[in-house]
Amino acid sequence: MSVHEPEMSLLQNFGQLGIQRKSPKNRFPLLKLPKVVLLECIENLDVLEIILLTLLSKRAKTIAKLIRWNPLDIRLTTDSRPQIELGTPINPCNRWFIKYDKKQESSRNLYFLSRQLGPEVFRSLLLKLDGNVIEEFKKMVEHICEVLRSPISDIRISDKSLIDWIINFQPTIRYVSIDDKVITTSEKLNHVLKNLKVTEYFRLGSIPSYTTFEYTKPIPSRSIIINDASWLSLLAILDGNNSIIRLIGSKLTPTDINTILKEWQMGTKLQNLEYLEFTTATLLDSDQWRRRVFNDLNRTEGDENHGRPTTVKIHDEYTYTLPWAHLVGNLIRGDGTIGTIGMYEEWKHDKMNLRQLRFYLQVWSRQA
Amino acid sequence: MSSTEQGTSSAAPAEPTTAPESAAAPEVPESFYYVHGKDKVVHKVSAGALQHSALIHGMISNLGYTEEQAKANPFPFENIDGDILQMVVDWCNQHKGKPTPPEDTNLPKQKEKLFDLVLAVNYLEIKELLTYCCKQVAMMVKGKSPEEIREIWMIPTDAEDEAAEKEAKKRAGKEAAGETAAAAGDAK
Repeated sequence: MSVHEPEMSLLQNFGQLGIQRKSPKNRFPLLKLPKVVLLECIENLDVLEIILLTLLSKRAKTIAKLIRWNPLDIRLTTDSRPQIELGTPINPCNRWFIKYDKKQESSRNLYFLSRQLGPEVFRSLLLKLDGNVIEEFKKMVEHICEVLRSPISDIRISDKSLIDWIINFQPTIRYVSIDDKVITTSEKLNHVLKNLKVTEYFRLGSIPSYTTFEYTKPIPSRSIIINDASWLSLLAILDGNNSIIRLIGSKLTPTDINTILKEWQMGTKLQNLEYLEFTTATLLDSDQWRRRVFNDLNRTEGDENHGRPTTVKIHDEYTYTLPWAHLVGNLIRGDGTIGTIGMYEEWKHDKMNLRQLRFYLQVWSRQA
Repeated sequence: MSSTEQGTSSAAPAEPTTAPESAAAPEVPESFYYVHGKDKVVHKVSAGALQHSALIHGMISNLGYTEEQAKANPFPFENIDGDILQMVVDWCNQHKGKPTPPEDTNLPKQKEKLFDLVLAVNYLEIKELLTYCCKQVAMMVKGKSPEEIREIWMIPTDAEDEAAEKEAKKRAGKEAAGETAAAAGDAK
């Protein structure tokens, strides 16, 4: 496969081959300009125009790549209408979108939309395509990353085929969110955990329950949020350096939680922890469960929570409001840091007589 | 705004009319220089206006002309069309000693003219005008589809680029062969 095949494919989708030429008087032979001037002209283009220009030919792409572009923030979502969102920290009021859709009969292949909300300007390029939209989307992302020399910062994965693609294309990424049921086998889950390094925020949607699969290595991301977290072991949590941990459907036992709390209080593990929350199912009643969790723990009770924040920062753009819970005590670490424990029995499972419990540990410090 | 008259490339151009001066005349009389393009029309331009052009400014500094010498020796820019040079001179006069505004709406709308203007401005090293021109060039494709961008900017397809490259290589080969044959002929 030629390295330029993706561009050719995109061009064919735009129906650009074999165009009718206008009179030369109405045209401007851009590529005949001296190189310095040519580059200055291209630098004045809007992000979407740069992308379209560089899809037109290898030469146009090579020239545009000579420019040192300001780094872009590239965010991808891939649900029913895949979308590439581009932004720049230098001008946060401007955002650009490339949105994909299936082509309807007689609809145009491509059109622009522009919207202004106060100081914010949103420009969108809508592409209506035949065939495999996800494949076209991937080619476009690769093209943008190459031309504008920017990495993907955030991806929400709703399509299985994107998992191997992102692992091959950019295995280290700041924000990843994998939707429910995208990962369907323990092999794939293991592959993702071993090969995709998520540095800031990693959300894993629900997956089929794996009674035999257990993952014992830490997940190196500042925040982890996992649905169906039955496969994540105590060791993976204790050896990790996570700040935010939210586990839904965890199989941690009260003894495991007791270990976590003790290690945290001693300051030997989970030193960066800011918030730990999980829901778990248990046959124990809440008093039994609580006794095991707090066994041998130096816990204080009372109204010592003045000044405790009611939110935690999951990542730069996501602040989470703590759920309602009974506050069942504080742990105080040697350095004065407080760990407030909240618990809530959510509902009772009729068939198995399982109790669904929500538990959290919020780490905070009293302001001087 | 400068006025012009048809001149020749001779050392003694006809007396051109001067550009209007501001009401508050400077204490030191301003010096003037003369330029002409491909059409030989001589433009009288003040040194202040010509400061926009790094090329001409450098020439003036290096030559140290007196006004008489300058009049007798207009700077020849044979590679610039007369109407384009007129535009450049007008712009320099309009923006003499003034801060340059962020936009300039007086640039030619005709794409062919803008191309020649860009080349001239780049050659004359007029930084601010070049910046305006480049913005204007970028504006041409605002909101255009890829087909339209290709058409407006005459971007060849990869196949066209490859064919042109092949042709250039072929021509270079032929020229090299011709030079070798000529050198061999000379040697004989």
